[in-house]
Amino acid sequence: MSKKLGVYVCEGCGIGTCMDTQKLVEIASSENEVSVVRTSPAFCLEDSKVIQEDIERDGVDGVVIAACSPRVNTDVFRSDSASVERVNIREQVAWCQPPNHEETQSLADDYLRVGIVRAQKTSPPSPYTDSHERRILVIGGGSAGLAAAASAGRAGFEVLLVEEREQLGGYAARLHLCYPQRPPYHELASIDIETSIQEAASLPNVRMLVGAEIVELSGQPGHYDVTIRTGAGDEQATVGAIVVATGWVPGDPARHEVYGLGVYPDVVTTMEVEEMAQQRAIRRPSDGGPVKRVAFVVCDTGADDTHLPYGGSVWSLVALKQALYVRDLCPDSIVYLFYGDMQTPGQHEYFYKRVQDDPQILFTCGEIRNVRKDDEGLIVFEADQTVVGGQMEIAVDLLVLSADMIPTTFDFPSPQLLNLQYQKGKELPTNKFGFADSNFICFPYETERTGIYAAGAVRQSMDLAASAQDGTGAALKAIQCIERSSEGEAVHPRVHDLSYPEFFMQKCTSCGRCSQECPFSALEVDDNNHPVLEPNRCRRCGICMGACPVQIISFNDYSVDMLSSMINAVEIPEDDEDKPRILIFACENDAYPALDMAGIARSQYPACVRVIPVRCLGSVNSVLVADAVSRGFDGVALLGCKAGEDYQCHFIHGSELLDARMDNVRETLGRLALESERVKFMEIEITDSHRIPGLLEEFVDTIKQVGPNPFKGF
Amino acid sequence: MPETSVIKPDFEFKSQILGRGAHDLTSCYQCGTCSIVCPISNPENPFPRKEMVWVQWGLTDLAMSNSSIWACHDCAICTAYCPREAQPALVMAALREYSIEHYAVPRVMGRMLGEAKFLPILFAIPALIFGAVLAGIGNLTALPDGPVVFSKFMPIVFVEVIFMAAIGLSMTGAVAGGMRYWRAMNLRMVGNRGPVRLLPTLWTILRHRKFRRCADDLPGTRESPRTPFARTHLLAFYGFLGLVVTTTSVGIGIYAFGYLTPWPIWHPVKILGNLSGVAVIIALLIFGYRRITAKTKAGESTYSDWLFLDILLLTTLTGFLAQGLRLVGVGGAIAYPTYFVHLMFVFFLLVYIPYSKFAHIVYRTVAMLYDAATENRESVPPPAQAA
Repeated sequence: MSKKLGVYVCEGCGIGTCMDTQKLVEIASSENEVSVVRTSPAFCLEDSKVIQEDIERDGVDGVVIAACSPRVNTDVFRSDSASVERVNIREQVAWCQPPNHEETQSLADDYLRVGIVRAQKTSPPSPYTDSHERRILVIGGGSAGLAAAASAGRAGFEVLLVEEREQLGGYAARLHLCYPQRPPYHELASIDIETSIQEAASLPNVRMLVGAEIVELSGQPGHYDVTIRTGAGDEQATVGAIVVATGWVPGDPARHEVYGLGVYPDVVTTMEVEEMAQQRAIRRPSDGGPVKRVAFVVCDTGADDTHLPYGGSVWSLVALKQALYVRDLCPDSIVYLFYGDMQTPGQHEYFYKRVQDDPQILFTCGEIRNVRKDDEGLIVFEADQTVVGGQMEIAVDLLVLSADMIPTTFDFPSPQLLNLQYQKGKELPTNKFGFADSNFICFPYETERTGIYAAGAVRQSMDLAASAQDGTGAALKAIQCIERSSEGEAVHPRVHDLSYPEFFMQKCTSCGRCSQECPFSALEVDDNNHPVLEPNRCRRCGICMGACPVQIISFNDYSVDMLSSMINAVEIPEDDEDKPRILIFACENDAYPALDMAGIARSQYPACVRVIPVRCLGSVNSVLVADAVSRGFDGVALLGCKAGEDYQCHFIHGSELLDARMDNVRETLGRLALESERVKFMEIEITDSHRIPGLLEEFVDTIKQVGPNPFKGF
Repeated sequence: MPETSVIKPDFEFKSQILGRGAHDLTSCYQCGTCSIVCPISNPENPFPRKEMVWVQWGLTDLAMSNSSIWACHDCAICTAYCPREAQPALVMAALREYSIEHYAVPRVMGRMLGEAKFLPILFAIPALIFGAVLAGIGNLTALPDGPVVFSKFMPIVFVEVIFMAAIGLSMTGAVAGGMRYWRAMNLRMVGNRGPVRLLPTLWTILRHRKFRRCADDLPGTRESPRTPFARTHLLAFYGFLGLVVTTTSVGIGIYAFGYLTPWPIWHPVKILGNLSGVAVIIALLIFGYRRITAKTKAGESTYSDWLFLDILLLTTLTGFLAQGLRLVGVGGAIAYPTYFVHLMFVFFLLVYIPYSKFAHIVYRTVAMLYDAATENRESVPPPAQAA
């Protein structure tokens, strides 16, 4: 179907004084399918009505707005009846290039051509709207799970809560007191989990199953089939989204054998102290004798690998809390508190100060070693690297170590929390610490399984209060997921995206790479190893599109063909060494905004770059890089998020996969007898705008040294 | 490698220090900002950070056997920068106060000067001694007639004998205290110390070289609650020295040349004495004013702070008053009792030197001598500490 495009060239915000907009009008007018071309001193003001009129009266169904960045004025230019393409000639041309320069003009010209091609190649998506289940499954009945159930229940959603134990409340029922959560943050408070249980139980739409476990879970956001096993037999249910709040388990004592745990009965963990405190009698486990001197070791100290490398503020605060238990229950006792980092964030600082005010609680950072039992039966150890100075020896009745908080998602002994019927695994993918993995900075509740949200200690070590807040947060994400999925929209980060990948199956070679590379297990494969899409699991990143070796995967508004045409729309000057052309694929999430911000800061960077935004670097098919090089681009830079262990990729593995695909690209370059320096992957964070000019100049210099692409003009 | 020591906290010591105005010490979390901003601290011996933790842990031996507490001249810049408002300057001051009592010989004197309830006894001693003399020569019941001549009221020879004896005692106490302090530091010292450098240290003191560094080398933009104070102290220091010279000269004048008092007001020694007295009074008023105005920033002053300032000020003021009354000719009924009070203050000031805050003359000098001989060697925990 042929399109009717309107092209609108804005002259405001310094665009008009920086370039010849008339030239842009001429370019637009000469393009196919363009029916109207207009200019305005500011399309975002009164003249936005002109665009609206063109759409409504003249049937313009594709709008190309050459003005500011697509990241601003989205509300002004949104249209329900026409596709809108934004050509960024403000932040990425007028604000970062010298005015009225030949190269500036050709940059703007190229961007306009690229934008028009993009508009020509876009067709409206037809959303998938078959999932309407609105019930939320909460796994785990502790602090986080109860809060999630109550929050979702109050919001009017049906909730099914499944707790493995016979009793609700989780660890809250096994702790003596909690550290203060309200001003003045001085006194320990009792734990009232009963109210939370009652609150959730009193809601008519919340159903709670105890002594139950998930034996099978399949489907996708908006429609999961779950099989729950209880004492009374198996039960089937359908749910729309899932909150995993299964918490933590204590670690293996053998890990702390070097500190005498498991060797001497008087070396215990904080969990044992909670038990003793609940019975209001802290005594020596070895002989039941009174406790006069206690040492707490916040187990983030020490260079040895017996410590888990995390624990956050919980370990510090629990040690502070239990120091007060000892001072309260053991008259005239002395408490030594050793730490690596005392972490008492926010208002907890007041609590730290309050514990410090007790003259018989002594703090120091430091390492302890050589734990042994002396003749009198006391636990004796050496402390080094303390702030007191020198080496000291301390004798105590009780040595308390932080209990490891091992997230239940960690694969030991072997979690059976979800039993997902996904080809990519039965449980949630975890990071190296065993926590449910996600882009921790941007989407903390997310897991790598769309529609399944982590809350509480499966996400990071946290206390009861934080877990309860977390439960509410995850419940809200579950609600959002249900609402968006029912409309056929992506959940995040591409909220409102209605497109999803489509497959030209006749050409599928059954390689299965799309399914393997999809970070979210949205692509299952059938018996013929052909991809089968679970649309609501899809986050529309396009990694499958970038992976497919035969390029049969595309979205209605995003495809290899479209990107290839956009690359082809750039004019490559021939036989001019001073006018190299560098193609940049920039990740829309971080790199593209960083480029915008460089413009906002009025940083100047080379005019020979041509930026094409992509959903994720993972969606860049290696054929596109080869295309660009054979078209005559002198270099290709790929600007994306940090890859690897501390990744910041919004789609988990996108930039990592791109990095791997570079090998293919280098092979291609070699086949064309080209230098491998012509293609470069650069990690850019959203805060890196100040680095952009330097990085680009450096790359342009490299390319100039390598020399012009010999394929120019072919 | 220093040997490992068994830690046994002394909570009595800790509560003593907390009770001497250093109650905010508990909030210290050992960030070390205090040692960074301190103009005279150094990485090998980072005070007041170490003192803070020693007191928190009740490590009396360590805190008491360190020269740092007397290297500190109380500029209080640490307090200005402390992120936890732990008032390190007050902790150092409390430690100095405590150490004067700790090393006092005899111990009981240290305690008596430290608590207000003993003040009447301390004044009763000179009152009784001088009262006994007056009673002996009959001046207690009938004051001498004629123009006011203080030696008629209280013969010089008695004054000299009493003071010589008393100062002899106090000097003995001072030397004994100083030596205990020296030995305590020596026990804690790793490695050898160098020779004692007496003259350079005295030269440093006469020029207030270290004191001026504390006042002038303050880092950052925040103001010390106490600056500028080195110059004020210099004024008090030389004022006091002037008074000592005056008294000595008068003694020499009387006994060597038979030049009887009162000397005329224009006599050079007399002029020196009066100028010195004025200098001391001015300096003390400034000190007192600062103690009052800087209270919120630098913390409350203790009993011992005020006792020292007040006694010195009253000694000088009663001296001027006695001289003025004599010159104006108001008659013995007023002038003689004033002189009597003056003598009591002089006695208090000089005899209690090793036990009042005045003992800083002794301990600071010892600490400076020790520092000069050892150049800030690191302190280590004690081999053993009594609980």
